[in-house]
Amino acid sequence: MNTPAIIAIEQVSKTYESGGGPVVALQDINLTIAPGEFISLIGPSGCGKSTLMRLIGDLAQPSAGSIRVKGKTPEQARRDRDYGIVFQAPVLYDWRTVRKNVELPLEVMGLNDTPRSERANAMLSLVGLQDFGDAYPWQLSGGMQQRVSIARALAFSPSILLMDEPFGALDEMTRERMQAELLRIWGGAETDTTVIFVTHSIPEAVFLSDRVVVMSPRPGRIERVISIDLPRPRDVTTREAPRFFELVTEVRESLHEH
Amino acid sequence: MTIARSNSKPSLSGARVQTLVARWWPPIVIFVVGLILWEAAVWVFNIPLFLLPPPSGILEAFFAQPLFLLQIGLFTFGEAVAGFAIGCTLGILVAIVCVRFRGLAEGLVPFSVASNAVPIVALSPLLGVWLGSISPASKIGVVAIMTFFPTLINVYRGLISPSPDALQLMHSYAARQRDIFLKLRLPAALPYLFNALKICSSLSMIGAIVSEFFGGRQNALGVYIKSQAGILRLRECWSGILMACLLGIAFYLVIAACERLVMPWHVSFRQERNGH
Repeated sequence: MNTPAIIAIEQVSKTYESGGGPVVALQDINLTIAPGEFISLIGPSGCGKSTLMRLIGDLAQPSAGSIRVKGKTPEQARRDRDYGIVFQAPVLYDWRTVRKNVELPLEVMGLNDTPRSERANAMLSLVGLQDFGDAYPWQLSGGMQQRVSIARALAFSPSILLMDEPFGALDEMTRERMQAELLRIWGGAETDTTVIFVTHSIPEAVFLSDRVVVMSPRPGRIERVISIDLPRPRDVTTREAPRFFELVTEVRESLHEH
Repeated sequence: MTIARSNSKPSLSGARVQTLVARWWPPIVIFVVGLILWEAAVWVFNIPLFLLPPPSGILEAFFAQPLFLLQIGLFTFGEAVAGFAIGCTLGILVAIVCVRFRGLAEGLVPFSVASNAVPIVALSPLLGVWLGSISPASKIGVVAIMTFFPTLINVYRGLISPSPDALQLMHSYAARQRDIFLKLRLPAALPYLFNALKICSSLSMIGAIVSEFFGGRQNALGVYIKSQAGILRLRECWSGILMACLLGIAFYLVIAACERLVMPWHVSFRQERNGH
């Protein structure tokens, strides 16, 4: 890698105390991520992929090892608002309109009225929901709500986007459409956003990423990192390319390797 | 992709009036039929006046002195509202403190849930000794205690209702505790708050009237109901009860109207708009 890493994870472990004794969620994780990369974390339940994402985002702390984000601690990066987060559930506020939901982080960060609503409108246009600014979340479908969640996460131009199975609750067709949408939005956002994407769908990981980090459980560790050399921009023809199927097979075989 | 999009402002359109009528005519019909059966039963079975007066007799007694009944009713209603205001305000404040000091919550909440099983109104004679059995203070005290606990439980539950994901998002924005409270916890608690206020509006009228049975000023509704029953003037007694019902319902409707104003986005209103 010729550019300095934006995220450097060194010998990180995470152990939880539980009723039946300590549970090792992650052990000896080492990973470096370059700015602007799209990384997927994939693995079966219990492999620690969501935990790793949370450690990066300072939503949990490692038991051992170090994580440096843009040269800072994750806590400092969080205080500097470097993270945008999208969970599997959209977590939109019922009592706010779609536009006001997108404005939420901007309000917290102290931006004034006019620039705030302008920015929110810009983000809604980016995700294709410019006509739904005055609607309430319950009036939107699941896929649309997730798009609002993505718009909200990108509203303050974070350097890093953390996504925890964001399309997990959607049906297959909507899922594939949202994947294409995400790549378009990622390409269209002003700054070079680094994306950490947690999933347990192999085609999703291969379609979206520059590199796929295959993890295995008990204890959670990195099995392999597979480079995805499919050309960008990627679209529906990418899914039909022979190389796509080769890579999906490669990821699948790594997942079964233990 | 089509989604059901409805106007965010409800209007009194033809369709809406139709829905209202469709919703309300069954209970109205049952009510009217009930009244007719009651009237008929009194005549047919020759039920004596001191046991059960007919609706016609009650209405006659009511319209013989409506302003007097309203005057004494409003006095009692004043006690109910004062107790409601004190109890609910304290309940809200303590709930907010409990969110900050969860240990306090762990102590108070089970105690509050248990208090629902205790007939607080039975404390009326006790409060009469402490605050004066004739004075309104003892009635206000009973109502305040009755409304404090449900408000505390409901508002507390509402304030801690946001999901861990929602709280983590706020954490990722490096939001201050004040922002998390004002922008997330407080709006999330509003449905719970109004739920409590509606329950308490019914409880407060009951509390004020029943505690007046244990003693109170001459011109108060509870005292009137009890004294009229005591001299077997049942039509007058029932007319007092009728006034109590009207005031209780009015109180509830005011709270419900406030709820619609404050929370136009809430689930219960959505279903109506979509015609379910």
